[in-house]
Amino acid sequence: MNLLEMNHIRKHFDGLEVIQDISLSVGEGEILSIIGPSGSGKSTMLRCATMLEKIDAGEVLYMGERAACVTEDGRQIYPKGEEAKQIRSYFGLVFQNFNLFPHYSVMKNITDAPITIQKRKRDEVYEEARSLLKKMGLEDKENAYPCQLSGGQCQRVAIARALALNPRILFFDEPTSALDPELTGEVLKVIRSLADLQIAMVIVTHEMAFARSISDRVIFMDKGVVALEGKPDAVFDSDNGRIREFLGKIAER
Amino acid sequence: MSFSVMLEQLSSGMVKSLGIFVLTLVFSLPLGLLVAFGRMSKNRLLQNIIKVYISVLRGTPLMLQLLVVYFGPYYLFGMRIGGTYRFLAIIIGFSLNYAAYFAEIYRSGIESMPVGQYEAATVLGYNKIQCFFRIIFPQVVKRILPAVTNEVITLVKDTSLSFSLAYAEMFTIAKQIAAAQTTFMPFVVAAIFYYVFNLVVAVTMEKIEKKLSYYQ
Amino acid sequence: MKKGMIGMALAAALAASMVAGTVCMADERTTFAVGFDAEYPPYGYMDENGDYTGFDIELAQAVCDLRGWELVKTPIAWDSKDMELESGAIDCIWSGFTINGREDDYAWSLPYVDNSQVVVVTEDSGITDLAGLEGKIVAAQAASAALELLSEGGDQADLGATFGTLQEFADYNTAFAELKAGSVDAVAMDVGVAQYQIKTSEGCKILDETLNAEQYGIGFALGNEELRDQVNESLLELLDNGTFDELAEKYELSDMVCLAAPAEEAMETETEAAEAETEAMTE
Repeated sequence: MNLLEMNHIRKHFDGLEVIQDISLSVGEGEILSIIGPSGSGKSTMLRCATMLEKIDAGEVLYMGERAACVTEDGRQIYPKGEEAKQIRSYFGLVFQNFNLFPHYSVMKNITDAPITIQKRKRDEVYEEARSLLKKMGLEDKENAYPCQLSGGQCQRVAIARALALNPRILFFDEPTSALDPELTGEVLKVIRSLADLQIAMVIVTHEMAFARSISDRVIFMDKGVVALEGKPDAVFDSDNGRIREFLGKIAER
Repeated sequence: MSFSVMLEQLSSGMVKSLGIFVLTLVFSLPLGLLVAFGRMSKNRLLQNIIKVYISVLRGTPLMLQLLVVYFGPYYLFGMRIGGTYRFLAIIIGFSLNYAAYFAEIYRSGIESMPVGQYEAATVLGYNKIQCFFRIIFPQVVKRILPAVTNEVITLVKDTSLSFSLAYAEMFTIAKQIAAAQTTFMPFVVAAIFYYVFNLVVAVTMEKIEKKLSYYQ
Repeated sequence: MKKGMIGMALAAALAASMVAGTVCMADERTTFAVGFDAEYPPYGYMDENGDYTGFDIELAQAVCDLRGWELVKTPIAWDSKDMELESGAIDCIWSGFTINGREDDYAWSLPYVDNSQVVVVTEDSGITDLAGLEGKIVAAQAASAALELLSEGGDQADLGATFGTLQEFADYNTAFAELKAGSVDAVAMDVGVAQYQIKTSEGCKILDETLNAEQYGIGFALGNEELRDQVNESLLELLDNGTFDELAEKYELSDMVCLAAPAEEAMETETEAAEAETEAMTE
């Protein structure tokens, strides 16, 4: 069974079809990168997968459980209460601009959800959070506040925050786009280090070299459809006109 | 009347002013939050009712509202008033009025919150209530504190409007002593009392602001 | 047993209204809420100890002592006196309250103070009579008898029309401050209050020529004649035992008090009037 399955998703904003009938699936432990020009619908796809955006057609399944669905007659069905909580526990999301809680310390940012939402034991959560921080190279920052950290450090805290809930799949929405160029490396290094955790990852990114080297599979999106999909080498070396044009533009920057 | 007796009288009035001040805050701060929720409700009817409420309470003099709250029950429902209702009417009037102002302050604070904070909380599994009280509200408090301080300082001075219902708070007593003694001295003393009261309020609020300045 | 005899006499005098059957037994009264302006010395004000006192307050206390009621001293905002009375927050307005011009608006007690409206000016103003006020700024308290008298429709409206400005103010303290500061030329008010004020205001005087002669009474809500009659009865008892005059002397109002038992005939007329009033109400 696939961890995530998205079938025939459609999404439009003010009459503009941002996503036109896209289907994709992610297996356990798989690392999938989504690339493509701005406005191609990459981020919207992530937001639909994480239930931040309502879909106009299709269905989203986690572990075979329905997370979102639109019926034939256009009714949107979303699970409620415990069921929704269960489904949300499968995934985590790392935002482009971190969205850390500024009034919470680094430690509290990471531990508040496991303690208040998952009702786990405080000591156990703190211990786990400390080891996560160590993994992120932030062991000395647990009492700092987000405003005292650099962008790269913030994003690493955000990753730790998502991991603390033990998700099966982690989404990254352009995790380095808001960072100064010299800070992207540290974040990418951390993401790379997660590969051995056996967590599935879906990464929307503009870092082509990174996507090529880390991914099991790459999806190239353009104008709301999946234009190309396959092994990294196959996609990046494809002679498809659209991807060549896109990669050309990226290289010029 | 000796100066010390005057001070004693004004102090007892001050205690009553303080009572109005504290009770008004106790009731209007939570009520203002409820009103703000109503104002931001997706239910159009509720939203419009709240809009009218805020508009009327901000658009008419507080002194008039106090008279309406006090005499309203008799003129509308024929209920007998008097006794303790005088004080109750003052608290109701002040709380309703200040709730309207606080509601708009809350709203400005809540609406200024970046949507990313809600999204992050949602994805982490916080439900709406947990999200509001753990993530959004603490940050809103910090954002609206300067505006709230303004209102609270105004409230200290507004307590004197209770003289319109002849409730014996500090200003009413100052007026009465002034009339009996044919002197303006009680007003000078009352002014100093109000100023000191507000100084304490301002310093307290500054302390709270400082306490919340650990993050940006 | 003087007390009992007076009571019986009054009971007889009041028989007419009893017979009319419009007076029903009130619930056993335990409290008596007197509404008064606490900024109106010497009738009602805050004393040296911070307690409410004054000629009216002490008189009301004496009535309550006789009747076994508990006096509830209720300071009111003068502008709201009618609302306070109508709504039942107070039982009466007892506060140097002028009857003249308001005869039909309240159930009035016997008049107890002869009061006239006078004008206070500064000694160096050169104003010696009412005609001298032409073109001047004259102040009167909002909702006061003096103001009503001088405003359109009042008995002295013609005089009021000659003033430069007829200015309203909230309390006498402010008015006297303005008078001394020269921002108003004269202040119109009750003579009793004027006398109290000029004791502490050097350089002020009361014009000999008065605006009118009028009387103070206690105002009860129309339809509450029963309570009014009870208070009247007690007032006469206090007059009889000397308490009334003692109080008048204490507050230096001896020249002005006018409480007297109505002559047999007058009493009857009054009772009839009250009767007619209640009948009108019943209809």
